[in-house]
Amino acid sequence: MNSWTRRQFGSLAGAACLAAVAPRVARGQAKARVVIVGGGIGGATVAKYLAMSAGTIEVTLVEPKPRYTTCFFSNLYLAGIRSLESLTHGYETLTQRYGIDVVHDSAAAIDPVAKTVALKSGATLPYDRLVLAPGIAFKFGAIEGYDEAATGIMPHAWIAGPQTELLRRQLEGMEDGGVFLIVAPPNPFRCPPGPYERASMVAYYFKQFKPRAKILILDAKDSFFEQDLFQDAWDRLYPGMIEWLPGQFTGAIKSVDVKGLSVKTEGDTFTGAVVNFIPPQAAGELAQQAGLADQSGWCPVEPTTFESKLQPGIHVVGDAALTDEMPKSAFVANSQAKVCAFAIAAALTGSDRFGPHLFNTCFTFLAADDAVSDAIAFEPTEGTIKISEILISQVGEDAEIRRRVVQQANGWYDAFMHDVFG
Amino acid sequence: MSLLLFVVHRSAAAQNERGAQLAAMCASCHRLDGRDHGIPSITGLDEKKLVETMEAFRSGKRSSQIMNVVARSLSGEDIAALAAYLAVQPKGAEQP
Repeated sequence: MNSWTRRQFGSLAGAACLAAVAPRVARGQAKARVVIVGGGIGGATVAKYLAMSAGTIEVTLVEPKPRYTTCFFSNLYLAGIRSLESLTHGYETLTQRYGIDVVHDSAAAIDPVAKTVALKSGATLPYDRLVLAPGIAFKFGAIEGYDEAATGIMPHAWIAGPQTELLRRQLEGMEDGGVFLIVAPPNPFRCPPGPYERASMVAYYFKQFKPRAKILILDAKDSFFEQDLFQDAWDRLYPGMIEWLPGQFTGAIKSVDVKGLSVKTEGDTFTGAVVNFIPPQAAGELAQQAGLADQSGWCPVEPTTFESKLQPGIHVVGDAALTDEMPKSAFVANSQAKVCAFAIAAALTGSDRFGPHLFNTCFTFLAADDAVSDAIAFEPTEGTIKISEILISQVGEDAEIRRRVVQQANGWYDAFMHDVFG
Repeated sequence: MSLLLFVVHRSAAAQNERGAQLAAMCASCHRLDGRDHGIPSITGLDEKKLVETMEAFRSGKRSSQIMNVVARSLSGEDIAALAAYLAVQPKGAEQP
């Protein structure tokens, strides 16, 4: 008997019960299937919370890499404070404890009409709902001379792993007195404080091992997040070592000469002993292919479900999503993923959902014993997402306060990884 | 009668689900398995104490950048559902 005939013949009480609890996928049918493509913070969190909150949903997570290295905290590896291994996490617990089918493969194409995902291996995964968490793609070609091959000489190190190791080796091999050039991207990009935390962490390393080295940041922008906190720290901790040139000073970044390790701007050409080029960014390629991104290069979504505004039945979370005032951070991806998971569970099983409650916290290191943080609450408003409250660390705080933020940051990393992969 | 029981049961289940979804938000920073590696554990605590603590963060009587922002975004009903849920979660394993 399906729910329609039960509704026809049921008692009043029975009808009331059904209205309250009737799942969209009727009993006796196969389990509802959710496929999640991308096993970073957003994708892994959606998978785990869906599997936890609705045992009646079959959850498949598609991710080519066997392990995931977090981009956040990878500046600490560049500083020599943490190993890359300590930032790398496996998917075993998601499979063993939560029953998630983790498929180590790449998605090749999406058919939103047939509701299938084709994998590179040739397999096809059918879905009732699809979640894409593809992260970022680099706009190669936006700056003349910076293509994929260039990343082997001028690493971006903006997706953690081999790129981060390459940059660390280059910094180790650099002579004392050399210039480390960082090219910072235009908005919006993954991790707004990231390029400036990187400058701070590399300065921390230089101060110990290459005290005559200099760091030059060529920025596409005229200002950046937590600028006062960074500039105060640079003056205090690394006087004379870090110079930041805003977009209005350099004109714009025009091209790179990979062999010459130089970056040409409107006005000048700058050469570094090591060049860390962080390119302009857009939503990951699969999102572009599937028609989920708009002209901005990012994916517009409904703010309370993270369902695509362009392709119904497909949700986008994390860095790829276009969510107005929400920064592209791991914390935000995790926060969006939970809202998305509860929304999908509600749509497929009729479960309740509350909120949404959307937050961000970023811990940003200025030295091994000096970190700052921000806390932001967000409110879905008129089809988009706005900041409802924000608190940020202040210039001039006591050293003890900053040391406590370092402890909190380390505690947070442990708990956050437990939340996503544990 | 059965309908009434059902509704009562359903409402308790909904409250629990609300608490669970709010606790998911806490889990971004607090481990919910009772362990504490730098951010305090919040499971298995006295329900009334949890409500008082969240109210103190909400009013600003207690100061914490993150907790002030989180608490101010929650309603009194949210805090009640969250505290009821967290209070009955196991305190968890011994510290390693």
